Amino acid sequence: MALLQIAEPGQSTVPHEHRLAAGIDLGTTNSLIASVKSGLAETLYDDENRDILPSVVSYQANEILVGYQAKEFSISDPENTIVSAKRLIGRSQADIEKKYPNLPYQFVGNKNHPDIQTRQGPINPVQVSSEILKSLTKRAEKSLGGELTGVVITVPAYFDDAQRQSTKDAAKLAGVEVLRLLNEPTAAAVAYGLDSNQEGVIAVYDLGGGTFDISILRLNKGVFEVLATGGDSALGGDDFDLLIVEHIVEKAGLTRPLSINLERQLLQQACFAKEQLSNQNSVSINLALAENNNVTIEINKETFNTLAKPLVSKTLRACKRAIKDAGVTIDEVLEVVMVGGSTRVPLVRSEVEKYFKRTPLTSIDPDKVVAIGAAIQADILAGNKPDSDILLLDVIPLSLGIETMGGLVEKIIPRNTTIPVAKAQEFTTFKDGQTAMAIHVLQGERELVEDCRSLARFELRGIPAMTAGAAHIRVTFKVDADGLLEVTAMEKSSKVAAHIEVKPAFGLDDTQITQMLKDSMSNAEQDMQARMLKEQQVEAKRVLESVQAALAADGGLLTEQERNDISNALFQLVEIAQNSDQNPTAIKDIETAIEHVDKLTANFAELRMDASIRQALSGQKVDEI
Amino acid sequence: MNYFDLFSLPHSFELDLAQLSAAFQTLQKTAHPDKFAHASSQEQMLAVQKSATINDAYQTLKNPLKRAEYMLQQRGTDMPSEQASFQDTMFLMRQMELHEMLEELPHADDIDGAVNEANEVLDSEYQTLFCQLQQLIQDNNQASDKIACEIVRKLKFYQKLQLELERIEEQLFDD
Repeated sequence: MALLQIAEPGQSTVPHEHRLAAGIDLGTTNSLIASVKSGLAETLYDDENRDILPSVVSYQANEILVGYQAKEFSISDPENTIVSAKRLIGRSQADIEKKYPNLPYQFVGNKNHPDIQTRQGPINPVQVSSEILKSLTKRAEKSLGGELTGVVITVPAYFDDAQRQSTKDAAKLAGVEVLRLLNEPTAAAVAYGLDSNQEGVIAVYDLGGGTFDISILRLNKGVFEVLATGGDSALGGDDFDLLIVEHIVEKAGLTRPLSINLERQLLQQACFAKEQLSNQNSVSINLALAENNNVTIEINKETFNTLAKPLVSKTLRACKRAIKDAGVTIDEVLEVVMVGGSTRVPLVRSEVEKYFKRTPLTSIDPDKVVAIGAAIQADILAGNKPDSDILLLDVIPLSLGIETMGGLVEKIIPRNTTIPVAKAQEFTTFKDGQTAMAIHVLQGERELVEDCRSLARFELRGIPAMTAGAAHIRVTFKVDADGLLEVTAMEKSSKVAAHIEVKPAFGLDDTQITQMLKDSMSNAEQDMQARMLKEQQVEAKRVLESVQAALAADGGLLTEQERNDISNALFQLVEIAQNSDQNPTAIKDIETAIEHVDKLTANFAELRMDASIRQALSGQKVDEI
Repeated sequence: MNYFDLFSLPHSFELDLAQLSAAFQTLQKTAHPDKFAHASSQEQMLAVQKSATINDAYQTLKNPLKRAEYMLQQRGTDMPSEQASFQDTMFLMRQMELHEMLEELPHADDIDGAVNEANEVLDSEYQTLFCQLQQLIQDNNQASDKIACEIVRKLKFYQKLQLELERIEEQLFDD
């Protein structure tokens, strides 16, 4: 570890250091990584000059393949080659089987977060995603020539808590620091630089391969506020292909079932036809039904448009709902941003233009626009643009609540609430002498428990026996800036408390993640120790930088004694962090030293935060308050 | 900290929404966790807390009914719970009539006209109550605050009716 430096009290600290950061579009079909290089955000390429990495991971006997190499096995070895892991991440087996009944995988293990049986043993979708993240960050570090400070990973606006948490877990497993999970549509708006000199409402229309998202954002003085999100998680460009397939099947007089080979041929031809029809008025499809039995079918643009129209209309209905949820009118929409390869379809563009009454933005490659926006945001979050005025305020996409009597859901945080947020509500007991309460956390808009998504269950025990309705149980929901939920429950008179990070229900718990980390390392115990030590050293460095900057700026808020105590604690921390290589208890020691600094600076930090909030509105300097 | 003070606004029911929104954004630019993405865990946690408070304060003040409820609470008036029984039978009768009016909408001869009329009726009754609420909150004494609480509850009934009407409209006019 490089030597840590401590500045004179009152002096400004570290000279500005450019930190390497990247934005990752972790897609269902393809993934991309981008970074800001000399002021410009661009996607990063691999050795073979490709920026797209297919989101495919193949588990071969002695190696794990990622991307194009893995994709080659997707047909010959489908059981061991995982495609579209994004559809599986953070979902239960029942969920997956209901939505995607024809997957070639064999699910094993916990039904709430199933693994896929491969020849390398059971593999969780979180691990699959982490392989993709590893491959992308390795590429970035090579291309940028240094270690990444952190990344911004984009997720669909519709991703629920378990899916977001699992995405973060994948990053943890890959050893990547997540600066922020960012909604894909928000990233797209950032990519178009809509923050500069504009005020108004922006709609982001994102039609990918398998999903549709619409987001309504308000932009005001550099602040992006997500007013509403909507969409359909089972509608995308692939559905256009399927419609063309059905059309060909009908035209060619084929009857199902068809051979797998023919089905694949049909799908390929359909996709080809769709792409061709973006630029020409008609296309011929040749199908080899059997030896010496070829069929040619003509599809023109008009036919395709007739087929596709109902799907496009379905997306526009979702737009209408989102506009209404956002409490705005169509006329207020200033710009429409197009995202996703399927927005290349001319019918999509023209219908969107007709509905929103303005020409949508299409100048940035719709496949790359999300990664580019994420890179811009990563650059800002890493601290490379201290004067940046952008602030992204996100909302939760689905309401959060708990189960009450009769299988009903009481909403505690309604959807589209700006995050971070903390909300509490009181509940009471149902029976005399009731001493425990089951708390069932749910996500969704419907009133019945069975129609909502179950996120977690936990129990509050040790409630003092009282008559029914006398106990006051306060349930608090906290959602952080990444959209991750934490729930606590407390009986008010006795202060009996229970707490859960909403995680184990559909995601993996920390022990499982640690175990996976160990499994992925050749010298498990040793590598694990080295990694944990590194993490503590990084945190030590952050604490040091933060506190020094704070002392330099507002040291005047403290007494001399307090300043001395804090300085001493910092020196101690630096000493321990620097001499950690030979110290067998270094991890614990650094942790203790950080806790010591935290304790000494807790009041100071709060004082500074409150002061800066007050001065933000008054324009005064902190010292003057 | 009082939400009005947090945004440096006068403690008044009449609010300049543009000023509120500007203050909100300025505060979030100071306290949002994104501004602390590279800071220590301690500062990050603090930022999440502050940012959540600012969000809550903004949502509370932005919405007139929530603002009224908040002001009444701050003055020490207790909001009766949603389940508490209503004394005003006239009001309840009227609510039942309005419910029936909405239920009849799909069977009207001129659906468009009936929906417009329903919208107008709900709007105008809401506005009448809302004007009373404004005055009562301004009066600012124990008696007026108590009546104001009742009116907030009544207005919530109207909000539910409006939502119901929107739902019916969607069903009728969506293909």
